[in-house]
Amino acid sequence: SRRHSVNRPPTPDVRDDDDDRPKKPSLLEIVNIKLIESGEKERLMELVRERLVECGWKDEMGALCRAVVKKNGRENVTVDDLVRAITPKGRASIPDSVKAELLQRIQTFLVSVAH
Amino acid sequence: MRFHVCCGFDLQLSSDIFRDILDSIIVDVASESHRIARLGLDRNLDLEEEELRMSAEARARASDPSHSGEANGKYIVDIFGQSHPAIANEIFDCMNCGRSIMAGRFAPHLEKCMGKGRKARLKATRSTTAAQNRYTRGSPLSSQTPYSNSTSMNRSSNGSSAIVGDDYSNGNLEEP
Repeated sequence: SRRHSVNRPPTPDVRDDDDDRPKKPSLLEIVNIKLIESGEKERLMELVRERLVECGWKDEMGALCRAVVKKNGRENVTVDDLVRAITPKGRASIPDSVKAELLQRIQTFLVSVAH
Repeated sequence: MRFHVCCGFDLQLSSDIFRDILDSIIVDVASESHRIARLGLDRNLDLEEEELRMSAEARARASDPSHSGEANGKYIVDIFGQSHPAIANEIFDCMNCGRSIMAGRFAPHLEKCMGKGRKARLKATRSTTAAQNRYTRGSPLSSQTPYSNSTSMNRSSNGSSAIVGDDYSNGNLEEP
């Protein structure tokens, strides 16, 4: 019926220039590039991986994964299934000490690249 | 770079980076578990258990009479489905004495064939202790190194195993 147009979401504003000009990289993107180029990202990931093994977090995630595999069947399970299954718990069960350590390192890095 | 460094850092930014790193690690863990699941590696709960299972399976395959045409059905089948007799039965001529020898019996033959020949040719000028040490029945104290005396190793089947092996001669294997 004619009412459907009422529910149509608002057309987003289109700026004429926008399609021609390349988007400016966000701050996050810039920092990310610096993180990777300096090798700090890899160091941070190694550090976190180590901590998460030590505190049993990785084993917990492994057990969750095995449960999903059992439920869905070994041949049917996809990486996406597993990622979706463990992400909420994974994010929530990071020990505070690990989170604090990582944030500290990141902030130190941000200071160092700001200069 | 336009974020505020002086008053305690851009918390949103560091939080985003933290989240990004954590998500990457989560994907890694999921990917590893996925691989293990698809390859069936999670069935290796216990190495011993796995080895027991594999040897049981191998025994079942070996004792399956349909695998080889041999009457006693005890021959092992290799990965090409061929079965071989326990003692190699190809016959050829010994290059030392010229006799016809069965391949599987060649090594013991060669010991006697070359050993006796040597003994017979030993001249009196050779030192007798050297001869005694080389052909004596195996006493662990008389041999210097594990490799000095292959003939005495074979003859001394009375269990003097000190000559055999290096690190494992006392029977202690390192546990992984």
